[in-house]
Amino acid sequence: MKDYEVIIGLETHIQLNTVTKIFCSCKADSWEDEPNTNICPVCSGLPGVLPVLNEEAVRKGAALAAAMHAEINPESRFDRKNYFYPDLPKGYQITQFDQPIGKGGCLDLKMPDGQTRHVRIHKLHLEEDAGKTKIEHGTRLVDFNRCGVPLVEMVTEPDLRSGDEAAQYLIQLRQLLRWIGVSEADMERGHLRCDANVSIRKRGSEVLNTKTEIKNVNSIDAVRQAIGEEAKRQVELVESGGTVKSYTLDWDADRGKLTMMRSKESEADYRYFREPDLLPVVLSEEKIEAIRAGLPELPMVRRERFEREYGLSAYDAEILTGERSLSEYFEAAVKCFGGGEKSISNWMINDLTRLMNDLDKTAAELILTPAFLAEIIRLVEEGKINAATGKNLLRKVEESGRDPVEIVEAEGLAVIADSGALRTQIEAILAGAPDEVANFKAGKESLLGWFVGQVMRATGGKADPKLTREILLELLKN
Amino acid sequence: MKLVSISAFEIAQKVRGGELKASQVTQEALAQIRKVDGIPGSLLPYQVSAEEERKVHAFIQVTEEMALAQAKKVDEAVANGEDPGMLAGVPISIKDIFCVEGTTTTAASRFLENFEAPYTATSVQKLIDAGGVILGKVNLDEFTFGSSTESSAYQPSTNNPWNTEHVPGGSSGGSAASVAAEETALSLGTDTGGSIRQPAAFCGVVGLKPTYGRISRLGLIAFSSSLDCPGPISRDVRDAALMLQAMAGQDPKDSTSSVRPVGNYLQALEQDVRGLRIGLSPDYEAVYYPDLETGEIHREPIQKEVHDAVLRAAEVLAKAGAEIVENVPMPNTRYGIPVYFVVSRIEAASNLHRFDGVKYGYRTKSEVRNLEELYRRTRAEGFGPEPKLRILMGMYLSAAGYSSDYYQHALKVRAMIRRDFDRVFDPIGEFSLDAMLTPTTAATAFKRKDVFGDSLLMQYSDQMTVASNHAGVPAVTIPAGLDDGGLPIGIQLIGNDFCEDMILRIGRAFEQKTQDDAWRKVRPQALGGEVQA
Repeated sequence: MKDYEVIIGLETHIQLNTVTKIFCSCKADSWEDEPNTNICPVCSGLPGVLPVLNEEAVRKGAALAAAMHAEINPESRFDRKNYFYPDLPKGYQITQFDQPIGKGGCLDLKMPDGQTRHVRIHKLHLEEDAGKTKIEHGTRLVDFNRCGVPLVEMVTEPDLRSGDEAAQYLIQLRQLLRWIGVSEADMERGHLRCDANVSIRKRGSEVLNTKTEIKNVNSIDAVRQAIGEEAKRQVELVESGGTVKSYTLDWDADRGKLTMMRSKESEADYRYFREPDLLPVVLSEEKIEAIRAGLPELPMVRRERFEREYGLSAYDAEILTGERSLSEYFEAAVKCFGGGEKSISNWMINDLTRLMNDLDKTAAELILTPAFLAEIIRLVEEGKINAATGKNLLRKVEESGRDPVEIVEAEGLAVIADSGALRTQIEAILAGAPDEVANFKAGKESLLGWFVGQVMRATGGKADPKLTREILLELLKN
Repeated sequence: MKLVSISAFEIAQKVRGGELKASQVTQEALAQIRKVDGIPGSLLPYQVSAEEERKVHAFIQVTEEMALAQAKKVDEAVANGEDPGMLAGVPISIKDIFCVEGTTTTAASRFLENFEAPYTATSVQKLIDAGGVILGKVNLDEFTFGSSTESSAYQPSTNNPWNTEHVPGGSSGGSAASVAAEETALSLGTDTGGSIRQPAAFCGVVGLKPTYGRISRLGLIAFSSSLDCPGPISRDVRDAALMLQAMAGQDPKDSTSSVRPVGNYLQALEQDVRGLRIGLSPDYEAVYYPDLETGEIHREPIQKEVHDAVLRAAEVLAKAGAEIVENVPMPNTRYGIPVYFVVSRIEAASNLHRFDGVKYGYRTKSEVRNLEELYRRTRAEGFGPEPKLRILMGMYLSAAGYSSDYYQHALKVRAMIRRDFDRVFDPIGEFSLDAMLTPTTAATAFKRKDVFGDSLLMQYSDQMTVASNHAGVPAVTIPAGLDDGGLPIGIQLIGNDFCEDMILRIGRAFEQKTQDDAWRKVRPQALGGEVQA
């Protein structure tokens, strides 16, 4: 294995999260709909129908191209890819062939070991999805619901070198898709689908050997595992004197096994030609500029800026930029607080994310606004409430939507920092524990902790710890 | 005069004015169909009696109930003081390539024998909305692939009302024949390479192919999507203008339909032709076709009577004040058919992909072992010879490795054909023409079975018409006389993009100046006229 290098290219299909399909007005998302209930004459390929392009699909496709650092073609075109299959009702797929919406592009992978892998994009185009078929009791069934769902097909150059890198590519791609809001990128729901092309070569060699294509690697783990398995298989085959043949393989995630689907000796001829039913897609310079300008700061850039600008650790910056609304939450909280980035980062990573997980909410969905979080942290840091109270407040604010200061007042959660009031309470406690006082005075100073505990219990944890200590020592030493 | 003989314009005027009931017009049209049409085209075996041989056989399906219901609605609207629309009560036939809810849409193919579309073509809907009465679906070449209507799977196919031993032309043969035989006042046809104009010329009626994109293609079962144009067939120019008026305009469901505002075509007819520049081209005086053995290009002059009719029309128009410009070069006209072979076959093969027996239409009845066999048998049994030929050719021409030789090349030549028109219509150019005047066909209607079977020769009957499809420009054919055999001759006016008003205006002028011509008094055989020996 060590003598070989694995060469991987990924082909991804990304379902754009438009409201309607790409060429008709059926809704785009059919998740959990009964088969063939979300179809119309256009997407089910009836005779005489014509496609009408969804502008939003174009905008989202172009936004993705921009986010991938690809050129956006000012004039792109649609073509027909002709083939027969029951899930393709027109007998051709409307796609983009030689004038796609995006040209070039790349994604830099930040590997956990700190290395960066530069992955170039070979192809980025818009197309329509096909339906689904399945065989049940010996009968082939077809569901057209998915026909016409807008997709971006994005293919990398063979720039990846391991299953881990392929997995990282999908992780960062998924993050990016959600970040710029063009896809839900839920792999389980097929919003992001992946096929992997795998070949091997001796280290130091520059040739590209025959590759196999693994279909249906539709989770991050599947990509990592399937590629690992296939690379191992190819190495063993070559080592034992065999040669790799151009197969299409299927990844069975349940059994963790690859099975051969078919040999791919001759490339299918799709007889591409221009789709005469659609006009060229023309994007003016202003429109392209608006699409670029509309993009948020991208995750990698923001991550590096968080390290630089806020002095966060690489680890903290990665977590806080894992999802766009989380990173925005952080910056908003910093702004409200007027600094405090390190403690805000701590609070968010340790406590807020736990709350979000419990409630299954994104940062954007929290009722606990960045301003409220900043207020809670300030209350703790100014000693107005103690840390435990602060942490409890997170949930209270989230549940009630009330201002934390208000809750602290209404529920009397503030630290008792009035030395007079506290002194009275402590005096009462000491009066009730004559033995302990005697022991302390006899030299058992470790009892101080016990006294503090008593005070805290009596005050419901609200006693200012520092002040409690001072008063206790003063009273006990006398 | 019988109601079925009067123009759509007059019918609509009288119905809107309350002088005439749409129901009455409809009843008379239905009676005329019963009288002249004979048995409808069908997939069933039929007996060819001598009497049936002389019938028109335009219809595949007469939609009597629907027609009477539409007529009733029009009459009710009039009774309620509402305007039923510019086509109020006008009987119309629809080429059976348009989807119309409530009818079967067969495309004259076994494949779609029982296909009922769940929606109505935009063009048809506009006719209905304008008060038109749809009498039924008329025959055509299977999937519009042909120029004689003989390739229809629905037999007997349509005969030429002027002489039933002759073809009506095609592919809109049923449309042209139904209008010529006064079964309907108007018909909706489609023109991909000449499929409105050639049958209209053969049947002695007016046929207009509008600018590509002027009328929505939605609901038209596609043959060659970059060339297909729906358009009117009528007995006079004014009716063609009226029908165009009802159908023209942008359709949000057809991305290739034009957003340009629609002109007032009827108003345009009131202007005369003084000062208009009309071109004659030597490139429309002969047909050019390749020798299959040697590849050598033969030149065959067009039928003399047709050529004479064009020259005579030029004289008539010159007398009316138009300026005739001779020797206008249209050098790429001769490549129209070869380019058409490539572009239309490739698009057709792809458009026919959807007929696979999976979702609708014909599916083989025999046991199949797998999916591929289902496809093979279904398509082998469902398609007639002409679609099969076109699929094979289209597949071949678009295959990897061939596409660049044929398709890319054809697209370049198509652009050259377009430039021929750009040059002559350029308002500040050398010619600055308002229209071209050409023959519509090289010869009048041929006899049944004479050409059918020779797909190549059949295709060459579109040589005078196909260039305007490649260029996208509008063209209209107008009756201009009869040949020695008593068969109609058509002349063609081709205009610049979206200048339907111009060619209709010139056509109307020609029609009016020749109103008293003797040939106009001759009646088609199907209407009781004598057939010349």
